[in-house]
Amino acid sequence: MRAQPEVDIGPVLVRRLGAAAVADAASCRAFSIGGMVPSAVVRPADGVELAAGVAAVGEAGGALVPIGLGAHRALGHGPARYDVALVTDGLARLRDYTPADMTITVEAGVTVSALADALAREGQWLPIEPPHPARTTVGGMLAADLAGTLAASQGRVRDYVIGIGTVTAAGTPTRAGGRVVKNVAGYDLMKLFIGSLGTLAVLTEATFKVRPLPEQQHGLVFRVRDLSAALALGAEIDGVLAVWASGALGERANKATVTVRLGGVAADVAAARARLGDLAGRHGAEIALDADASDATVAAVFASARDFSASAECDLVLRLAMLPSRLAAVAQAAAAHVPSAAALADPRRGVLTLAVASGDPQEAVTMIAALAQVADGHGAHLVVERHPDALAPTIAVWHPLPAALPLMRRMKAALDPAGVLAPGRFVGRI
Amino acid sequence: MWYRLAVSTSIALPAALAAELAAIVGPEGVVAAAAARAVYECDGYTLERAVPELVVLPATTDEVARVLRAAFRAGVPFVPRGAGTGLSGGCLAAPAPLVVGTSRMRKIRALDLSNRRVIAEAGVVNSEVSRVVRAAGLHYAPDPSSQNACTIGGNVAENSGGPHTLKYGVTTNHVLAVELVLPDGEVVALGDGIDDGLGYDLTGVVCGAEGTMGIVTAATLRLVPLPAAVTTMLAVFATVAEATATVSAIIAAGIVPAALEMMDRTIVAAVEAAFRVGFPTDAGAVLIIEIDGDAAGLEDTSTRIESLCGAHGARQVRRAADESERAAIWKGRKRAFGAVGRIAPSYCTQDGVVPRTRLPEILARIEAAAERHRLTIGNVFHAGDGNIHPIVLYDERDADEAARALAAGREILAACLELGGSVTGEHGIGVEKMAELGMSFGADDLALMQQVRAVFDPDGRANPGKIFPTPGVCVEQRAPRRRAAL
Repeated sequence: MRAQPEVDIGPVLVRRLGAAAVADAASCRAFSIGGMVPSAVVRPADGVELAAGVAAVGEAGGALVPIGLGAHRALGHGPARYDVALVTDGLARLRDYTPADMTITVEAGVTVSALADALAREGQWLPIEPPHPARTTVGGMLAADLAGTLAASQGRVRDYVIGIGTVTAAGTPTRAGGRVVKNVAGYDLMKLFIGSLGTLAVLTEATFKVRPLPEQQHGLVFRVRDLSAALALGAEIDGVLAVWASGALGERANKATVTVRLGGVAADVAAARARLGDLAGRHGAEIALDADASDATVAAVFASARDFSASAECDLVLRLAMLPSRLAAVAQAAAAHVPSAAALADPRRGVLTLAVASGDPQEAVTMIAALAQVADGHGAHLVVERHPDALAPTIAVWHPLPAALPLMRRMKAALDPAGVLAPGRFVGRI
Repeated sequence: MWYRLAVSTSIALPAALAAELAAIVGPEGVVAAAAARAVYECDGYTLERAVPELVVLPATTDEVARVLRAAFRAGVPFVPRGAGTGLSGGCLAAPAPLVVGTSRMRKIRALDLSNRRVIAEAGVVNSEVSRVVRAAGLHYAPDPSSQNACTIGGNVAENSGGPHTLKYGVTTNHVLAVELVLPDGEVVALGDGIDDGLGYDLTGVVCGAEGTMGIVTAATLRLVPLPAAVTTMLAVFATVAEATATVSAIIAAGIVPAALEMMDRTIVAAVEAAFRVGFPTDAGAVLIIEIDGDAAGLEDTSTRIESLCGAHGARQVRRAADESERAAIWKGRKRAFGAVGRIAPSYCTQDGVVPRTRLPEILARIEAAAERHRLTIGNVFHAGDGNIHPIVLYDERDADEAARALAAGREILAACLELGGSVTGEHGIGVEKMAELGMSFGADDLALMQQVRAVFDPDGRANPGKIFPTPGVCVEQRAPRRRAAL
């Protein structure tokens, strides 16, 4: 891993890269991560400039962090070294879209909402809905492996990316996969780079397979007494686009909802509504909302769940992921250690996200340690999605460390031997 | 930068190692007699054959680890092998002399119905997984046509597909974690079965790596509910062009069938002659269209599909009235390759992919190749995925015709690339398509892949001589002799 910078490489890059690089203080401050401010911002206009930028940073002995629009850069450890923010928003072209092929190729800096708009015009969608789609780039969605509320039924980013363009740590453009929906030619490096948080390569382009938009979408909200009742009801709901339980731990814990998102042909939606109405009745749940997805309230409910982990009010966001059958027990155990938190759970996927106003840093560290123990007791993962800068040195963002960590370190050493790409940001501070 | 793996063309297996391996796996796990080893000379790709010097069949992960450790110390590379139903020579025992087969690892280690997961050892047969969970209303979705023989380890290595991948995805979409024995004998757990990544997605990298990163000894598989209802339709067309246009129309209408398969006149005639499943032999093409889901919406969707078929010239659309009619249609489809064997002395199957909208063009190119080379080429394929399987019929005793068959196959793959597609959708590169992989990617792309491989296998011990074209070595193919069931 590279040592802390001895010289400021900002001016070097400005000289080498011309207009693609700036080093003024305000630009640099806008891309701080965990309190660290880069000494230059490189903003390539295309893949060629991007490759040149990566090569230049490497040759100057620096380290860079690839950034889309920066909305999700709170995820991960602070970089061990951070000279350059490599901002990919200039790579914002739609490269290829033939709706009848149901595939689309876009550059990494295209926003998720721009991608969704292009697809929706042709009656199609990519059923991944990460938080804040207008501020999230395709590259960011892939790098952070953002999964929204649809993951349990529709899968994750890894299930839709069929081709990828990258630039290696040495600045060499490479690609893997292709533009067809079924392809086993060569290794599936898409999987390697998705979720690697910019530590193995810089993403420049991705090809997705897409799906037809459901003919109809519908929202149902059931009101129940508390989160555990919501989890019990949610666990019985299957065959829908999404189901999530919203509630709270701690002081505000006496109210919760279960939201169901339905999609399909009209007859299926109608049949599912009837089935869910009966189920809710058996659970003593009250129907708070039952309307088409075009209804403004339904749209707001969907968006608030989608954006939950990136909501502004809380500075500490924790995700527990587990086998779905453990969810209720984990939620109960977590409640003993969390004074007050907003909670969102996906009972089908086994994910519980807690948003906390952290307050005293020492108490926050203690709480995180306690939740890590809860995770250990249930074979769960604990991910600190967002944390105040003050906690950065003391907490592990990912817990537990994966059994294959040594192999992962070898992967990093092989693909980025000099530690140019987001050093220290990833699991085990890789 | 080119990573060349240190492999010579023929590697000997020392007698001392053979004895050591035999002691590890016991007498039931050793295949040493020449006649018994001959069974392992090839997989479903029969053009190249090599009888291994020794085959060992470990019964446990620990035995696999000890076998690999011993081979590693002796400097001997190995070839992992499942059921041997692969179609690209991925388990050819050359240059490595040692085959490590997983066919005795047949345990289902854990069945977690409430979380819809199963941990199956590498030697568990694909269809066995679905069979044991059927009573709980679940199944394992990837369904290669060899599913009654092929095993989970091989499925992971090849990232196998099948007719129902159109809606459900391929193997990699259903594998949550794997247990991998590295070439030096270290056992690593990649993933823990929780659907939320922790570190690099090495499970996803190992899926489809064709055994070049080690031996997968067990996999945690995702199970999915059996659909509440299924409708299977057989649509009959006068021409392939009409059938292809119908495929596009169904996709454009926003319908994702569970399966969308096409067979042309040559294949229909062969299937009818062999099995009499009731396909119309005077048709230019038939489509098998299967939709599944909630019963409520299925009737609507069926009606829409029927009218799309009609609008594109279908002369008949028949719905399977019951499970036995459905089974008959699928029997005809899945056994098409066997049927072809009855109408031609030899045949070879290609596996290529084009973007769906280029299907009419690739089919025209296939027809042109057939005419140019004076061959009959039948087509049976996954139309919804754009995954073609042209079957070139020929007589291997006729050297000239065999050469023309090989040339036609190569031309078709080159055409797939030209149309923006791939040289393999589900059969893999193996030894068969190393040259074509070189046409698909640049040197930097392949170098990166080999760097990734070296992380798992720095010494090139796991299935060397596969996938990657070796500079300076050109594999001479004399004749295609491929028989395939897919």
